[in-house]
This record gives sequence, structure tokens and C-alpha cells, in this order.
Amino acid sequence: MKGSEKKSVFKDLYNIFFTKHWPVWTGAVLAGILNVLMFGIVSPWSGSAGYSSWGKNLYKVVNILGFDETPSLLGNKWALLSIMIVLGSFIGALLSKSFAVRIPPFGELIKGFIGGSLMGIGATVGIGCSIGGFFSGVPALSGGAIFLTFGLFLGTVVAVKYLFWEMEKFPKISTGKGFTYLAVSQDRGAWQKWMGLIVSILLFFIAYTYFQADEYVLGWFIIIGGLLGLISQRSIFCIVRAFREPFMSGDSTGAKGIIAGLLVVLFGFVVIKTMNIGAGETALRAREMSFVHSNFWLRGLLGGFVFGIGMTIAGGCAVGTLWRMGEGQVKLWFSALGFLLIAPISSKFITPWLTDILPFNMQYKNYLPDYLGYAGSVGLVLVILGIWYWFAVWNEKTGKFSQF
Amino acid sequence: MEIKETIDTKGLSCPMPMMKLAKAMKGLKPGEILEMFGTDPGTRADLPQWCEKKGNTLLEETEPEPGVFRFLIQKQ
Repeated sequence: MKGSEKKSVFKDLYNIFFTKHWPVWTGAVLAGILNVLMFGIVSPWSGSAGYSSWGKNLYKVVNILGFDETPSLLGNKWALLSIMIVLGSFIGALLSKSFAVRIPPFGELIKGFIGGSLMGIGATVGIGCSIGGFFSGVPALSGGAIFLTFGLFLGTVVAVKYLFWEMEKFPKISTGKGFTYLAVSQDRGAWQKWMGLIVSILLFFIAYTYFQADEYVLGWFIIIGGLLGLISQRSIFCIVRAFREPFMSGDSTGAKGIIAGLLVVLFGFVVIKTMNIGAGETALRAREMSFVHSNFWLRGLLGGFVFGIGMTIAGGCAVGTLWRMGEGQVKLWFSALGFLLIAPISSKFITPWLTDILPFNMQYKNYLPDYLGYAGSVGLVLVILGIWYWFAVWNEKTGKFSQF
Repeated sequence: MEIKETIDTKGLSCPMPMMKLAKAMKGLKPGEILEMFGTDPGTRADLPQWCEKKGNTLLEETEPEPGVFRFLIQKQ
């Protein structure tokens, strides 16, 4: 093969991955496969646990609120995974020459912080976020996750109404001068591609150091986190879009994409749970109860509702916030700040209070196969996803609930 | 080509640019043209899809300065 042909092959490959965004379903299916792989290794994907770990470590450094026993970020798989999602997205943005530090008007930064704070409260109250409570929780056949999902849906509807109200009554909040730094033109800016390559090598080197120290789980989580960030950035993989768009533009591609991803995760999780794959010393029952939390039914509903409001105001769910941080969206840096500062406070002060006042039957663990069997539980999830799919497509055609 | 209205969404991230665009388009008459500036990469994917669905025409997409996109949209 001549040199020019080789160059052409690499150029074609580059164009496939980095010239245009990928379809959402491609990203969701790939993220779903990685979620199944994570469960095979040790545990399904959690988003909020990473933010909580970041926050607790921050409070530990400044020595307040009594988080001094918190394990280090460098030894926590969720904290590392979240950092690597940011880094992976940074790589995706650099390689596609779309990285820039984008600073919105001040009001948007405040909205980012408030949205992130609400996500921190919602994730701790509901024991789960858009990832752990929904993208992992529903395929894990958790009864509480179904209610959390319904809460996410309700919270999103309320917050979409708020956003339109705000735009009509207080347009100045999202108006003003925005600033952009380090952006490059699409026909220039080769430095971003080179930088992307260097950061990719750095990410694999970090993983290598963990493998060298026999920290295989953490090593794989670093690589998976990087891939999740890259995939999410290239495909605009964001749970909030799937919930929100039917009530905004009416577009159903986000919902269809996430449903496709959920089907992959559902298939993989059920195989793992029924066959006890990757369990090691863990008993089958403990493996079955992975990501089935004590959030049935009102606790999941409440948490999901608050989280749904938060993610819609912030403009990014747990993973959407991470990958948009890597892309340089400063609003989402503020969202992450709100999430990581408030989640530990909420888990220390709000959730114990709530646990005391909620009756037991509103906060116990509920594993759907215990009541419906595996076939019945999978059938129930498929029916719910089917209704969601039908609604998104019907609404796109009729525009019944969409605003524009 | 006469531009009826210009909106600046620089620095804003999803969903604000599309919300502002939709609101501005509602105020235009058929055939009138809106100019929009933005920096959110997601808008480059969302805007053509939205125009296609609504029957509006995306006349032009340019990059007048690094990382800033300019769209010209004609209302149906």
C-alpha cells in the first residue's frame, strides 16, 4: 500500500468517527454494551456515586462536615470512571476539532449550579440518577427504578414548562454576552487533533499504571470511562434529551436511541443475573439484587421528580453533564459543582430525615422477578418501553405535546 | 437577501439555542429570514433536523470566526 493510499484510509476512518455526530442510537447501544461489561466486571454503571465521591473528597480536603473517612478519588471506581468520562469527551471534542471553552451569560451559570444541586438532592433521595436509577436500574429489574423513571418524566415536564415561562417572563436570564476561547475553525486547528492524540495516550498510560499495580477493576473502569465519554460526546448521548424533546421540539430520535440502548442493557443484565456471571464469591441472591435499592415507591418517585427538574434546568443529566464538561461547556461545570457539593450534604442531612418520616412500604427494596418471575418482569419493562416508544413517535407526528 | 431578525446564542448550551430559535421563528412571516449565531456543537446537529421537520429552509451555515456558527433560516 502506497503512502498516499494509507493516508486516504486513515482520512476516511477519521471522517467516519469525527466529522459528524453519530446517531444517538449508536451511542446508546455502545454505552449499553459497556454498561453490561461493567456489570460483568463488578457492578452496573452509576453516575451519581462519582459526583458524591468527588464532593466528599473535597469536604475531606477542607476538613468540614465529617467526611474524613472517605476513600481517595484515585481508589474509587465511580470517581475515576466519572473523571475519565470527562477526559474521554475532551478527547472526542479535540479530535473532532470542536473543543472550546464556552462561557454563557451569568444567569445560565446560576441555572447550571441550581440544576446540579437539585440533581444532587434527587439522586440521594431517590437512590439513583439518570444512569444508576434509570439506565442501569430499570434493566436491573428494580421496582423502585420504575417509579424513579416516572418521577424523572414528571420532573422533566414541570421543568420544561418552567423554562418556557422563564424565557417569556425573564428573558434576560439567558441573554447577554457569551464568550468562547480556544475554538478552532473546521478547516484549520490541527493542534486540537494532536492534543486529542496526546490525551488519549495519557489516558491509556493512566490505565496501564493501575494494571501494573494489579488494580484490574480500576484499570478497566478507566478505559471504559474514556470510551463512554468519547461515545457520549460524539453521539450527543444524554438521557434528558430523551425525556425532554417530546415536550419541546417533538423530536423522537433521543427517546428511540435511549430505548435501543436500554434493550441492550436489559438483555445483558438478565443474562448476568440469571446465570450469575462474574459473581466471584458473591452469592446469586446478592448478584440478583445489584442496583435494586430501597427506594420503592414514593422515595424513588420523589427523587426522580427532583432529579428530573434538576437535569432539565441544567441542560444535562448525570452523564450529559460530564461529557459536556469535557467539551468545554462552562454551564455544566457549574452544574457538576452544584451536584458534587450538594449530594454529600443531602445524603448526610436530608435522606436520614426522609427515611425517618416515610413509611417502610414506601422505601423498601422491590425486585420485580420476586413477584412476576423473570419473563413477567422483562415483559413489564418491554411494555413500558413500548408505550414510551409509541408516545414519542405519535407525538412527533401529531405535535400534540411539543412546544415548537 | 434581507435578514429580518438576528439572534445571538453564543455561549449557550442545549436546549437554550433551539428554544430561542423557535421563539424567534414564531414572530416571522413566511418567506422571512432569520440569522442565528451560536457556539453549541449540538445545535449543528439539531437545527437541520428541526428545519426539515418544520418545513423551514436552512439557507446557509458558515463559520465566520473559529467556533462560532452562523445560520440563515427561511420560514416556510
